[in-house]
Amino acid sequence: MLLANKITYKRLNKTIFENIDIAATPGKIIFIKGNNGSGKTTLIKNLVNILEPSGGDIYWLGKKLKNNLFNFYKSTTLILDKPTSSMDMTIIENIIFWKRISSSKINEESINRLLDVLKIDKYINTKTMYLSQGEIKKLELTRLILEQKKLWILDEPYNSLDSNSIELINDTFIDHVSNEGAIIFSSHYEPNLKNLEILSLF
Amino acid sequence: MNTIQIIFSVFLKEYKINLRNFNNVLTFLFFFFISIFVFVFAIGPNKEILNHTGVGILWALLILSSTLSLKKYYQDDFENGSIIITHMSGLSYELISLIKVFSHFFFIQLPFLISLPIASILINLEIEKISLLLLSFFIGSFILSCLGSISSSMNLLNKNNFSLGSIIVMIFSIPVIIFSVGIVNSEENFLPLLKILTGIAFIFFAITPWVSAFCIKLALANK
Repeated sequence: MLLANKITYKRLNKTIFENIDIAATPGKIIFIKGNNGSGKTTLIKNLVNILEPSGGDIYWLGKKLKNNLFNFYKSTTLILDKPTSSMDMTIIENIIFWKRISSSKINEESINRLLDVLKIDKYINTKTMYLSQGEIKKLELTRLILEQKKLWILDEPYNSLDSNSIELINDTFIDHVSNEGAIIFSSHYEPNLKNLEILSLF
Repeated sequence: MNTIQIIFSVFLKEYKINLRNFNNVLTFLFFFFISIFVFVFAIGPNKEILNHTGVGILWALLILSSTLSLKKYYQDDFENGSIIITHMSGLSYELISLIKVFSHFFFIQLPFLISLPIASILINLEIEKISLLLLSFFIGSFILSCLGSISSSMNLLNKNNFSLGSIIVMIFSIPVIIFSVGIVNSEENFLPLLKILTGIAFIFFAITPWVSAFCIKLALANK
């Protein structure tokens, strides 16, 4: 689906990364591995067209990403390292907002089950600003299920989560991949997952 | 159809957030009224001077107090990246900034418009001129919302010097203040001035989405 061909990114004559090839096909988990400051977030920003690569091309379904941008966005969920939920809204309001703007057809029952599994169902009417870091991150990760998209791009999904939730996310990843989905994620922590395609940045 | 639904839900979100932070708007209004009081006391008990300068003072203070709201314009959405998520739902940055302009106009400027009749009592404005003041503020505040969008999108990367944004707004609002005060103070025919003010509003309405979207993209790339 998403294909990056020898992309290079330079900022102020400093090369952040060089000649990176990525081929995200259905059923594949790509793990971007690297230390702090090795350019993981920059690479992900390049992949979703926030930054433009200085060399190389990115393709979505055979067309150049720039010309096919909104089609790409229609089938992509992007989880950033910072929570994008609005601090002034409650959990359920945030979820309804995300559901509406992604035009997803998920029903109420599955939303409730999802919140129940993540153990944030009792705070459903609490404003996000009163939640803990981990709970906010969990709320953010509900977008993966809510939006029902094929390609997931995640930046540091494991940050501020407990080990149970990490297990849960790994299970979700495996489930998604077995349903013809594709995942690209970055972390400095190597997860306990099989069939990872590791892309190392140094 | 789908896009309209998305625009509507983004607008609904803005409405909810602004309603929850309504005390912010009340603070701006309070600032506005207190500064009118300060001016009235500073000028002294001479009714003649107040009649001459009242409208000008009112407009200057309106601009000053509406620049207070610029800090929240794009900053929150930009900091946590929810502007990217909204963009990925299929709205271009141009459209997002238009939604922001309209929500700023409805939720920040309209309370000022509603409070204007009370403020005009404080500066002893004649009752026939209140409708002209409301009309000029209705158009002028839309220009201020557009200007606010431009200046706060320019200032997204500038976190510690927020008065710069107010300066940009105040420089560009000079034509607004000239023509709006002219409309209220005009003796008989205010129509030419009104046309010019509307023209300025349309110019800013036309350029704001492009300028803001360009600045947002630039800021996201350099974050």
